[in-house]
Amino acid sequence: MAEEAARMVRIERTFDSPAEDVFDAWTSEEVIRRWFIPQEGWQEADAEVDLRVGGRVQVVMRTPEGNPVRAGGEYTEIDRPNRLAFTWTFEDDPSNEQMIELEFTERDGVTTVVFVNSNISAERRRDQQYDGWSTCFDEMERVLASK
Amino acid sequence: MANDPFKALAHPLRRDIVERLSGGTATVGEVTRDFGVSKPTISRHLKMLEEAGMVSRVVDGRTHRLTLRPESLAETSDWIETQRARWERLFDVVGEYLEERKE
Repeated sequence: MAEEAARMVRIERTFDSPAEDVFDAWTSEEVIRRWFIPQEGWQEADAEVDLRVGGRVQVVMRTPEGNPVRAGGEYTEIDRPNRLAFTWTFEDDPSNEQMIELEFTERDGVTTVVFVNSNISAERRRDQQYDGWSTCFDEMERVLASK
Repeated sequence: MANDPFKALAHPLRRDIVERLSGGTATVGEVTRDFGVSKPTISRHLKMLEEAGMVSRVVDGRTHRLTLRPESLAETSDWIETQRARWERLFDVVGEYLEERKE
């Protein structure tokens, strides 16, 4: 829908691996756990993947005090290794159910992934929790960059 | 919310106006040329951009000049970039994971 174009993120990336492996990485609990690398002092994140249409993907980070911080969604399309779609909601923006769609195309063992994140709302973008999140992600990027 | 820049950009015609104004101040006629829509429609879209603080209008006799206010766009693009950065990060993790599994 053209009206939604302003709230969409599209990412295209190529991996030197067959489509099956790239697809499986996207639905791997380990990958999702690592994506949510906690800040120093945070407890390790949990990730759960129930890979079936209607099944949930869920990640739970825990603050040093043990408070959970969640994000997750529900699979709406699973066509391994070609297509994957799921809803996604960050806990910092609970009213905004976003949509993630992925397409995997393999050629000569190299797989191109086209990622489209749509329905990004900005209604709650000034929430305090957002500030917390963005600090967390900044921290993560800093740690990775210094490696 | 009338002053929401996201709402202001949620229409292709308004995005076209913003894009054309990114080159500098222009008259209403210059900016909306070839749109093929009625004057009332153009007025309505311009009003939304003005209410969102994205476009300012200076009236000089019969000439209306429009100017983009780039600071109003910064907030919108910052938010979208934050969303993008989160998912880019997941792509990085997928890449690292795939490389490790090859070893």
